[in-house]
Amino acid sequence: MVPPARTRNEEAAFGTGPDQEAFSLWPRHRLPGLTRRELLIAGMAISSVPLWGHFPAQAAEPMAFSEIAPGVYVHTGRHELQSADNRGDMSNAGFIVGDDAVAVIDTLGSAQIGADMRAAIKSITDKPIRYVINTHMHPDHVFGNVAFRDDKPEFVAHHKMARGLSARAETYLNNTKSALGEAAFAGTEIVLPTLEVQDKLTLDLGGRELVLEAQPAAHTDNDLIVTDAKTGTMFLGDLLFSEHIPTLDGSLRGWLTVIDKLESSPPARVVPGHGPASMEIPAALADEKRYWQTVAGDVRKLIAEGKTLSDATKTAGQSERGKWEMFDQYHVRNVTAAFAELEWE
Amino acid sequence: MLSKIASCFTVRRIAGVVTALMLAMPVAAIASDDDDPWPDLQKSVFGDRQIVEGDGVVTIEAPERAEDPAVVPITISVPATVQGPLRSMALIIDKNPAPIAAKFEFGPAAGSGGERRMTTRVRVDTYTFIRAIVETEDGKLHMAKAFVKASGGCSAPAPKDADGANADIGKMMVRSYEPEQAQTALRDGLVMIKHPNNSGLQIDQVSRGYVPAWFIRDIEVKRGDDLIFNADLGISISTNPNLRFTYVNDPDGNNAVQVTAIDSARTTFTGASANRALAN
Repeated sequence: MVPPARTRNEEAAFGTGPDQEAFSLWPRHRLPGLTRRELLIAGMAISSVPLWGHFPAQAAEPMAFSEIAPGVYVHTGRHELQSADNRGDMSNAGFIVGDDAVAVIDTLGSAQIGADMRAAIKSITDKPIRYVINTHMHPDHVFGNVAFRDDKPEFVAHHKMARGLSARAETYLNNTKSALGEAAFAGTEIVLPTLEVQDKLTLDLGGRELVLEAQPAAHTDNDLIVTDAKTGTMFLGDLLFSEHIPTLDGSLRGWLTVIDKLESSPPARVVPGHGPASMEIPAALADEKRYWQTVAGDVRKLIAEGKTLSDATKTAGQSERGKWEMFDQYHVRNVTAAFAELEWE
Repeated sequence: MLSKIASCFTVRRIAGVVTALMLAMPVAAIASDDDDPWPDLQKSVFGDRQIVEGDGVVTIEAPERAEDPAVVPITISVPATVQGPLRSMALIIDKNPAPIAAKFEFGPAAGSGGERRMTTRVRVDTYTFIRAIVETEDGKLHMAKAFVKASGGCSAPAPKDADGANADIGKMMVRSYEPEQAQTALRDGLVMIKHPNNSGLQIDQVSRGYVPAWFIRDIEVKRGDDLIFNADLGISISTNPNLRFTYVNDPDGNNAVQVTAIDSARTTFTGASANRALAN
C-alpha cells in the first residue's frame, strides 16, 4: 500500500496506549542515564516478573500465524493506515518451511513488527532463514526486512524493486516515521534486495521449491508472485486485495491482465497482500476484478464524454462505496491514477 | 534546501515579471514556514498593482484535500458575466518551492465572452493557498484563492510505471471538443504532453542526488493563425502536462488546434488536433 499523503492526528501518530509502552524501545527520557541496550536488557529481565503482568498479553505471546497448508504460515494484518498502535502491522506476511531452510515472504511495516515476526517464526521452526522475499516495494511489506539482516539471508525481489523503493525511500521513511511515531519507528531502515528476479527464479528450501515470477506493471511496477510448488500455494502480495480496497501504484490495464492470467490457471490457494490468510480463485479475485473493471469502465466513459479528472474523482467508481474497507482513504487516489493512465488510450 | 531552490529557479522563466527580487523571495518564504508568503509574492510578481479579491471576475476550483499531491486538479473560471477579452492569468501556489505554477497570456482566439475556463494539474508540496489572478482588458487584476491540504507533491517520485512513463516522451494528444450547441461562443480544447516534468526536487536513486529539473516551459496554442494562449509553465505542473481550455468556437470554420511546446532542455514538441473535431 502507498502511505497516504496526509497528516494524521497527533494522537494516532504518537499513540500513548499501553501497547507502545510494552513493545517499543523504551522512551529514554523516562529513565535518564540508561542506554537503549541497558533498557532493553532491563526490559527482558523484568518481563518475567509477575508485577509486569498487566502489560498486554501480546507482548508475551508470539505474533499470530496460521498454517494454511503444510509448512505454509500466514499472518494477517489489520486494515488500517500506519499508526503507533499497529506499528506497521497492516498487511499479510508469511513464511514457508522446507527440509533445510525457511523463506520469509514480506516482512510487515517496521523494524519492530519485523522482529516480532522473526520471533514468531523462531518459535515455530529452528531452521535457518535463508531467503527474505518481498512481493513489492511498499513499506508495509518491506520495512521489517532489517529485522532479518542478522540471519544473513538473500533478500529477493523483482528486478525493478530496488529502483522503485530507492526513488521513494525518503518519502516512505518520513511518512512512516510521522505515522508510527519515533518509538514504533525506531530501528526501521531500508534493506534492498541482494538477489533480483528478472523473469522467473526457483529457490530450493530442501525438498521444497519456490517459484518466483516477476510481473509486468500492475499494483506497482515491481510485483513478484511466489508459488510454493509443493502445496500449490501462491503468495500474490498486493496483486490481491480482499476486504481492503485495492490501491493502484502501477498500471490498471496491467493489473487486469494479471487477474485474467491468474483466473486462467488457478493454483490450489492464494494468499492476498491484504485480506484473509488463504483464499481460492475465482472467488478470491471476484471483488477486486469488479472494482477495477468498474473504475476503468467509469473513467473511460467520462474521458469519452470529454469530462475532466476532477469530474472523475467525484463520480467514477462510487458504486463501490460501502463494499470495501478504507474506501475513503484510497478510492479518489485510485481514480486519479486510473484517469492519468487511461486518458492516453 | 537552498541549493534545491536555486536549481529550480535558474531554470524558471516568467515572461515580463522576472525581477531580482523574484529570485530571492521564495527562499524567504521557505525559511519562515509559518509566515504568509503571499504579501512578498504579490509584491515581487505584481509590484504595487492593486489586486481585487472576490469580485466575481474569477473563481478557482481545487480539492480541499489532495488525495494525490502530485496530481491536483485545478480549474480557473471566468464567468460569462465578465465581458471583454482577458489579457493574462497567473496560477500561484503560495508555499510551493517555485510558487508561480503557470502564467498565461491570451490571444484573440481565447474569446471575449462566455464562460472561459482553464484546467490543469499541479503538484502541491504542503498545506497552502492556491491563487488565480486574472488581468482583464482594462488592466485590472482580479483574484480568487482556494486552500488545499497536501504534502510532498513536488518531491513525489512521479512515474508509477517507470519504464512505461519514459517510453514516449514528447508524445502529444490534442483535442477539440464539439460543443453541444453549434452556435455557442466557446468550445473546449485539450493539450496533453508526455513529459516527466521533473521538478528538480526528486531524488535520483543511483546518485542519491536530485534529479535535475526538466519540464515543459513554454506552450503556444493557436487556432490557425490566431493565438489562443501562450503559457509559461513551472515545475509545479504535474508529470504529463495537461491543459484543458476554452477557445472561440467557429460554427463554420476550422476549429483545429495547433500546439508548440518547448521544454527546459530546449527541445520542441508539436501537435495538432484532428481537422474534424472529436464529438463531445
